[in-house]
Amino acid sequence: MKRHSKVRALAPVLLALLVAVVLVPTSVPSGAGAAAPVTLNVYINGDTNILDLWSKSLLPAFSKRYPQYRANMVGLMHGNGGQGVLDKLIAAKRAGRTTDVDLWETEPSMVEQGIPEGLWVKLSDKLVANLSKVPAEKLAATGGYSAPYRGSSVVIGYNSQFVKTPPKTFDDLVAWIKANPGKFTYCDPNTGGSGQAFVAAAIYRFANPDKFAGSAYDPKEESAWEPAWKLLRDLQPAMYNNGFHPNGNVAVLQLLGQQNIYMAAVWSDMGLDFSKRGLVPKSVKFEQITPPLFGGDSTVTLPSFSAHLEGALTLLNWLLTPEAQEMVIADVSGYPGVDWKYMPASVRRQFADVAKPYSPLPNAKYLADIKRIWHDRVAAGQ
Amino acid sequence: MTGVLWPWAAAVFRRAVGAAALLALASFILGPLLTLLVWAFAGTWLFPNLLPEFSLRWWAFVLGNADVGKAIRMSLLSAPTATLISAVICIPAAYAFARLEFPARRALLLSFLSANAFPKIGLYVSIATLLYRLDLMDTFTGVVLIQLVNTLLFMIWIPTGTFRGINRNLEEAARDAGAGPLRTFFQITLPIALPGIMVAGLFAFIAAFDEAQGTLIVGTPNHMTMPVLMYNLVLSYPQPVGAVFSILLSLPSLVLLLFAQRYLRAGYLAAGYSL
Amino acid sequence: MTAGVQGPREAGSARIRGAGWRQGALGLALVLPPLLVLAFLVALPAVTAVVETLTPAGGGGPTLANYARVLAARSLRADIVFTIVITLVSVAVVFALSYPLALYLRFSRGRAARVLGVLFMVPLFVPVVIASFAMITFLVNHGLVSTLLYRAGVLAFPRLVYNGTGIMLTQVWVNIPFAVLILGAGLQAIDDALIDGARDVGAGPLRTFLSIILPLNAVPTMIALTLLFIGVFGSFTIPYLVGGNAPAMLGVTMTNYLTQYLQRTEAVTLAVLAFLIAAVVGAVYVASVSRRERGAA
Repeated sequence: MKRHSKVRALAPVLLALLVAVVLVPTSVPSGAGAAAPVTLNVYINGDTNILDLWSKSLLPAFSKRYPQYRANMVGLMHGNGGQGVLDKLIAAKRAGRTTDVDLWETEPSMVEQGIPEGLWVKLSDKLVANLSKVPAEKLAATGGYSAPYRGSSVVIGYNSQFVKTPPKTFDDLVAWIKANPGKFTYCDPNTGGSGQAFVAAAIYRFANPDKFAGSAYDPKEESAWEPAWKLLRDLQPAMYNNGFHPNGNVAVLQLLGQQNIYMAAVWSDMGLDFSKRGLVPKSVKFEQITPPLFGGDSTVTLPSFSAHLEGALTLLNWLLTPEAQEMVIADVSGYPGVDWKYMPASVRRQFADVAKPYSPLPNAKYLADIKRIWHDRVAAGQ
Repeated sequence: MTGVLWPWAAAVFRRAVGAAALLALASFILGPLLTLLVWAFAGTWLFPNLLPEFSLRWWAFVLGNADVGKAIRMSLLSAPTATLISAVICIPAAYAFARLEFPARRALLLSFLSANAFPKIGLYVSIATLLYRLDLMDTFTGVVLIQLVNTLLFMIWIPTGTFRGINRNLEEAARDAGAGPLRTFFQITLPIALPGIMVAGLFAFIAAFDEAQGTLIVGTPNHMTMPVLMYNLVLSYPQPVGAVFSILLSLPSLVLLLFAQRYLRAGYLAAGYSL
Repeated sequence: MTAGVQGPREAGSARIRGAGWRQGALGLALVLPPLLVLAFLVALPAVTAVVETLTPAGGGGPTLANYARVLAARSLRADIVFTIVITLVSVAVVFALSYPLALYLRFSRGRAARVLGVLFMVPLFVPVVIASFAMITFLVNHGLVSTLLYRAGVLAFPRLVYNGTGIMLTQVWVNIPFAVLILGAGLQAIDDALIDGARDVGAGPLRTFLSIILPLNAVPTMIALTLLFIGVFGSFTIPYLVGGNAPAMLGVTMTNYLTQYLQRTEAVTLAVLAFLIAAVVGAVYVASVSRRERGAA
């Protein structure tokens, strides 16, 4: 009968599904047993060049040096994944469980939010010997709850084929943008640090950067930002596509590479990397302006209730060795986390131009307000 | 004269308009997909070239990525499981909504709207805490639960409508002939309702498959699905990478389309789908 | 009648009452499993969120201060309005395209109809992230459409992505199959005899549509409109990838408030507001369906 044949036609499909679900292993076997290597879970929030640095260079080298450890890298969703991990960590801490997040490279705002919840290990050179190589002020910046392992700053990338005399100061840059409408942009500050840097540069033009870099936070100070908002709003019509800010650091570099724009704010390590891979033409060059755009260190933080704390500490210590630090420089053209004096002379020579001092990053709370007010005042024009 | 020409001209005009509309719709639906197809085989594609330089190197790049394989497998396992579980618990409930009288029936039916109406972002933190207490974080079960929530609306409402559209006389006739309620359900009601249930299953599967935000929290690090991976690829890599991954991703859906095509033809949907 | 013996009428009603009890209990038992899932994974967290937004930061009794603050912010009001407008426009366009398509598929035979029958289903099987990405590459300046027009001599090209238009076009693309399926299913249920009957008494196609088809297909229409509205209103992926910087749709705004601006309370308040708006639409559907069912009874 017709009705039965319909049901019968379904049966093989259901059976196949059942077989697939049952026979194919559904979970990664956990590393149990004393002889088996311990698997560390390393969460990395970053663009693809950083993810490749970890998965292709750092972690394999670490496992070779310490065969008792294996590492599994988790790359986080563009711009938004950090909150998910933070929520997971807070939930786990409150429920009294251990977490499988052993090491996390993330934004300062995430570290900031975790401190009151007691999420992180307070680092010192007693726990991590190589921490003594890191300049003290870098460690103080996050209160000792995270350690820098690489750095970079935002610079101005420009296509020398179309830009014969690149601007040297921030005011020159603003003048150039107005004179060349549609040929410059910066990414939406929600989605990338290079966009934040440009907005911060506008703020620093009229207010002292150090006021916003420390740990103090007072929303009333933000009235000093008014001239910056006015400047940025006035610049909107001169931006690429009449004021559209793309989604992420990489999108801006792609626009530069496809010659849709001739100048942009980009991360030094990302720009140099794209140039090395031929993703932007050789005519694209990078320079730092005066006052410089901000930069900072990327830090890693260790959850205090991780399931493999000893392994995480070992990994962090190894990250600060010359071997690992040289990979940072070779792979992503980043600045080292340890003091420059621990790097070989050839490296110090190579970076003489770009590794100029950079402006400080605003602290996490101010940064959050910068993003929000930018959206209200500049993007929405209110 | 006009009396003869006018209907003919009108008919031709109508045919032309129809053809034009068909063409416009076809371009609108297929155009974006075609663009992606071309991008997937592009080495570089510069404006104003109509076609790119062709190359397969991005395929090697994507297929060589270990995360891609893991994510594909996770999606193809979790989404069907969530859909199946959803079907098992929801179809009897749908039958109850359609045929039985019980207190607060309409209110309860409507409550399933809430699963899709409340923005998920605010929910996921609370859900994560709950799953942690139940030790379900980073487990296959946790991912399936998150996907299950997305399927409830479709698996309740559409089968309810389907069951309601089935003529009661058929069931009553079977009962009068002596068949018990279970037998009536499986041999009379279910076969007639099957097309509607297939449609519901389809939508439910797609909802489970597309789920990204909750899966990120619950599924990391070992149980990531394709949509989670996709955001990263689309935003951070050159265009061809997103295009290649899109093709890989669409394959299971295409297979489903071919299979489901039988059930989705207009005639079958007639078999009882009024609500 | 002697005491203790029930007359036929009493016995009959007792049997009906007994059947009612059992049916009610069975009904509730059958709907319990999905309801439990709903309660634990949606209702409980949702209620927690609402309570959180009604509680002021410093303690004290329930207050609407959070809502007042959110609604006082001009950019948030702009986002709410933008979301509603884009949703209404998208739903209207989907509807305007899907109804004729559903009608065409219902009443036409032949190869064109069969091809269309497969064609309209295609977007259903494309995950939303891919659909957004595809629309961008298709419609962006220097993408396929603009290149074709450029080669044909048309140099000016409007901005079709990274704004509300882009969101609307992508939502339409993604939702056509769903709308056509539901409308089409409802149309299938309309007897051919009714259509023929209308034609026999001389009604033209438009008249037939307005007096016969539209009313008989009202319930699937309401379902489609309701689900479409809710889906577009609460979406995240499409506005995130295809939308502009500001104004933004509520799904994106909410996420930004939570993850970028670190203002969780505002984010949850927006979530509850979005829920209320969607609930209003759902209520409208319920009211119209109830009225219809009462009318039919």
